[in-house]
Amino acid sequence: MRRRGGIAIAFVAIVAAALASTAGAGSSAAAQIQAIKCDSTLKIAVLTPYTGPAAFLGQDQGSWANLAAKNVGKALGLKVQIVAADSTLDPAVAATAAQKVIADSQVIGVVGPATSGAAAGVSPAFFAAKLAAVTGSASNTRLTKIVGGKPKTATAAFFRVIADDSLQGSVDAKYMLNTLKVKKVAVLDAQEPYSEGLADIVEGFLKAKGVAVQRFSVTNSTTDYSAIVNKIDKDTDVAFTPFQIAANAQAVAVALREQGKKAVVFGTDGTIAPEFKFPGSYASVFAPDLTLDPSKKALVDQWKKDNPGRTFSAFGPTSYGATEVILRAAKKACIDGKGTITRQDVLRRIKSVKIKDWILCGSFAWSTKTNDPLYGAYWLFKIQPDGQNKQIAKLS
Amino acid sequence: MSGFDGDDLTQPLEGAREAAAAEGPTSPEVGRDEWVARHDEHRAGRSGLLGIVEERLSRIPWWAWLTLFVAVFALMPVGVTDGYWRRVAFDTVLFMMLALGLNVVVGWGGLLDLGYIMFYGFGAYTYAILRSPEFGFHWPTLLVMAIALVGGALLGILVGLPSKRLSGDYLAIVTLFAYQIFISILIGGDNIFGSNVTGGVNGILKVDPLSFFGHVVPVSKEGGVFNVAYLYIALAFSTVLFIALRFIDRSRTGRAWRSMREDSLAAQLMGMPVPWLKLMAFSFGAAIAAFTGTLFVALNGSVFPGNFDLTLLITIYAMMILGGLGSQAGAVIGAILISVLLELLRDPSNSRYIFYLALVLGLVVVLRLSVRLAVVAGGVIALGIVVRLVVDQVDASWTGGAPDGTGWLGDLIARWVVEPSAVTLWLKSVTYISLIALALLLTTLRGWTRLIVLVPTIYLAAFVWENILAVEPAVTRYILLGGLLVVVMIVRPNGIVGEKRVEII
Amino acid sequence: MTGLATLLDVLPLAAVDLDRLFQTIVNSATLGSIYALIALGYTMVYGILKLLNFAHGDVFMIGAYIGLGVLHVFGGATTPIISIWLVILLMVLAAMVGCAVVGVTIERFAYRPLRTAPRIAPLISALGVSFFLQYSMQLLFGAQHRTYDTFLMDGGRLFESVIAWGPLDVSLLRLIVIVGTAVLMVGLWMVVSRTRMGKAMRATAVDRDAAAMMGIDVDRVIVFTFILGSALAGAGGVLFAMRSDIYPQMGFIVGLAGFIAAVIGGIGSIPGAMLGGYLLGLVESVTQTYITTQWSNLVIFAVLIIFMLVRPQGLLGRPEIKKV
Repeated sequence: MRRRGGIAIAFVAIVAAALASTAGAGSSAAAQIQAIKCDSTLKIAVLTPYTGPAAFLGQDQGSWANLAAKNVGKALGLKVQIVAADSTLDPAVAATAAQKVIADSQVIGVVGPATSGAAAGVSPAFFAAKLAAVTGSASNTRLTKIVGGKPKTATAAFFRVIADDSLQGSVDAKYMLNTLKVKKVAVLDAQEPYSEGLADIVEGFLKAKGVAVQRFSVTNSTTDYSAIVNKIDKDTDVAFTPFQIAANAQAVAVALREQGKKAVVFGTDGTIAPEFKFPGSYASVFAPDLTLDPSKKALVDQWKKDNPGRTFSAFGPTSYGATEVILRAAKKACIDGKGTITRQDVLRRIKSVKIKDWILCGSFAWSTKTNDPLYGAYWLFKIQPDGQNKQIAKLS
Repeated sequence: MSGFDGDDLTQPLEGAREAAAAEGPTSPEVGRDEWVARHDEHRAGRSGLLGIVEERLSRIPWWAWLTLFVAVFALMPVGVTDGYWRRVAFDTVLFMMLALGLNVVVGWGGLLDLGYIMFYGFGAYTYAILRSPEFGFHWPTLLVMAIALVGGALLGILVGLPSKRLSGDYLAIVTLFAYQIFISILIGGDNIFGSNVTGGVNGILKVDPLSFFGHVVPVSKEGGVFNVAYLYIALAFSTVLFIALRFIDRSRTGRAWRSMREDSLAAQLMGMPVPWLKLMAFSFGAAIAAFTGTLFVALNGSVFPGNFDLTLLITIYAMMILGGLGSQAGAVIGAILISVLLELLRDPSNSRYIFYLALVLGLVVVLRLSVRLAVVAGGVIALGIVVRLVVDQVDASWTGGAPDGTGWLGDLIARWVVEPSAVTLWLKSVTYISLIALALLLTTLRGWTRLIVLVPTIYLAAFVWENILAVEPAVTRYILLGGLLVVVMIVRPNGIVGEKRVEII
Repeated sequence: MTGLATLLDVLPLAAVDLDRLFQTIVNSATLGSIYALIALGYTMVYGILKLLNFAHGDVFMIGAYIGLGVLHVFGGATTPIISIWLVILLMVLAAMVGCAVVGVTIERFAYRPLRTAPRIAPLISALGVSFFLQYSMQLLFGAQHRTYDTFLMDGGRLFESVIAWGPLDVSLLRLIVIVGTAVLMVGLWMVVSRTRMGKAMRATAVDRDAAAMMGIDVDRVIVFTFILGSALAGAGGVLFAMRSDIYPQMGFIVGLAGFIAAVIGGIGSIPGAMLGGYLLGLVESVTQTYITTQWSNLVIFAVLIIFMLVRPQGLLGRPEIKKV
């Protein structure tokens, strides 16, 4: 009893000291209406899973947002700092991280939330805080659109710079039907919102057109696809695998070949990554491959220099775009507000942003009806015999 | 040990002590009863000023400590108006409740429950299903909380049933299986024989906040800031929980649990219904977790299967172990310490303070205030300055990087630690693994070789921290938690305020 | 309802669809052999220390990463500087050695100090080590999934069929995995049953104190056990990663499967671990192929819980009798 008391006191003292050291970091609850000077360091928070099962998302998005802060910030004459807010793919953690972001008065906008689950959860808080959240990866249709009579799951403070699942699902299915002339398709999902949403749309579309569809649901942690591929019929034409983890799509392709099935793998945004290189496979992406675009070479080189030894997926550059949108809205607010802005000013001007040289090819403008982009197109890639990705078509 | 030699009962057999010494630390002590030998150690107090302070403090009754603690927590929002830290306080209170519940199962019942989080999830989903537009139910808050509590208890009994036939290790695995089954049901729950039960991977959204007797407690005030009322509600519930557990601990059941934990076979022979006791422990812990789950989802407004993964389990285990297995106060202290530490670790500027403070404290504890400490400290600082100068001369890019975060400490450290502008994979792996190897080596060294090796190790640790660990706080936290579990178990298994347990072989 | 319909649909066809059946058998053998390798490590350690080594799965993961490192050192899958077959062999050997070192280190620093502590202490320490390893690898190598690009090796030869008798179709890689693991297991069996150290291991597993009194150096035996178990896990890691992707948390799932296999076979029994591995592979393949993919996890775990309640000592284990 005696010893415990002494040690308990010591530790409580340490905690108290630690807390005291950070007590000064608190700010008043009225952060959201606080005026921020445009010549001070503006902060943009990136709310994405930096760790956890989808940590590649966070690493990509964080690094590309950093790049945008440097480049776009310099071009617009703003001092920008990126603040990392890790959601660890857990919406509850995202909510706590969101609180931290809201409390920081210098934050003028949020890039993210990266996942549809977190987006639905934290959007009310951001709306109440008048903080704009622009995502480059949460593609669940119901976030911004009314589907089947059910209301939107996110608020008016939620924006996304990529087209949502409903478009991607239908253009992919159309291509499969019209160009690949499929009679039988296997649709797989990885038991998480992104792939389930896309899989549902593609399955529904194809079934309505009379194509035979086999639907499989695999866990995200499955790495041995032999058993599932075993169930795919020998005469199946295409295996639609909208996985976020490219290596898993690759594993499916390899298993198909190993078991002598003729089905070709058709992936989506997540599969455009160096790990996916099975010749003959297709992938539809919301953006053309940056490394293939000579006009973006300087940007890609700059990213590679800042992030040695790493590779990026399609989800990275979209965060660059999202950061750019926020910064341009902030710049407009700065001009209108003569050097002083609030979060609400930035939020109000998001939808007026138009960008000519958009990182994801072409120009960028908002749809007038929803918080989605006006132009939604997808690019189709096919992997060549030498393992290289080749852009072969534009789907819309 | 004082008072040991003169007592006949504690004298080992002739020659046994030499044999025991020859065997080494890994074999049982022959002819010596640990518990009896430590008897005098238990009774003797510490001498000096610290001893007097400890003695006085130990006389303060537990409820006075509790009142003080609650007062501090309740008054905290007055000093800290930051919505984020208040929210962290709320999360900490939830962690405390979870740690208290786990303490009942593991600390009091002695059952290693690796599926504890499933009960947390069960309570959260029960609340979400019964109070959201998902199925159109909007039942009263208190009723739903009661249902979650009772449901959790029943589920705990169900999961605990295998404990009748299985012992410790097997039970741990079965609970892990049960957890995996639970998560599978949550994930696939939107299509169980065609009907939606748990909302699947998309979870359940727009869950109603708490409302008592017609007054709805909104989750956020204007500006999206956390409503501190939730903190007070959680605090009230946790206080009630603490007091209830205290009474149970003093009751027959508590004593029965303690005896079952020490030696279940002996307890059974003495007439304790051990299988029932195990079930009760499981059930209690589960009920507490389920209840906490309702608070969790009420604030968050949504629930997903991803909310309940194993990293959360490890965090709660770390809290309980650090505080002290079997001790309620320990669970509370552990929860606060780790919760605050984890939040502080998110920001490199804050985490830097923690790291260097821990380093200095560690040195002081190990070396005591002495000449050796001054020598080591001086050596480390000197080494740092020299190394940095040399490296800078050789290749400026090796010191081109800048420390993350801001603050005077960061600037100071930047002059002392080598911070390359580009940290390659090779460099990361080599330095990290060398650090671990050196640290492990240090535990085997003694005397002046230890001091000599200590100096470069500390410098290397600072290098690794600044360039590798502090940069990715979200990964570092789990490395630290894992390491904490190991270190606590080896160095001080009874945690901060736990009781020392002696297993009689 | 859909599950039932699928079952009824499939049953009459199963007799006819030999292709699918044989493929299932091949699948289960491939999967099961890896599980068996891991199960052996668990079972040997449990037999001697009565400790569930939660970190064993993560040693397996480290083996896979070591293989990746070696592959890159020698130029990668498409441009190896020496013959790719030699590289593969080196990968396996390097993983075995590296994992043995890791295993011994874990034993020495995380488990040995806790040998006389209450049973729960080393279990919690093992949990801590497991997390420490997982997230250390994530810190160093990132969370993204990586592969060996096996199908690019030697122009894809590894995936060409070696055995093609009617419905039975086995690729070279699967053959390597199945035969390779069998060779390793036979090697282990020889060590355990023929050598002096093996005899010492068996004696220590029966009664540690008696073995110590008979002059066996218990510490050395334990270190040797860990070396064997970890080396097997390392080899398993490389072989598994040849067909699958590598990420820091891969050890958890596969480790859990290996542990289940050890328990089914009877923990503490080496032939039991081998049997349990293949059996688990079979159960998993059959469940996923014929019953359900979505709920396969649930079905497998439910079956295992029932199995453990009915026969906790496993198939080849003996019921544990505690002497008071």
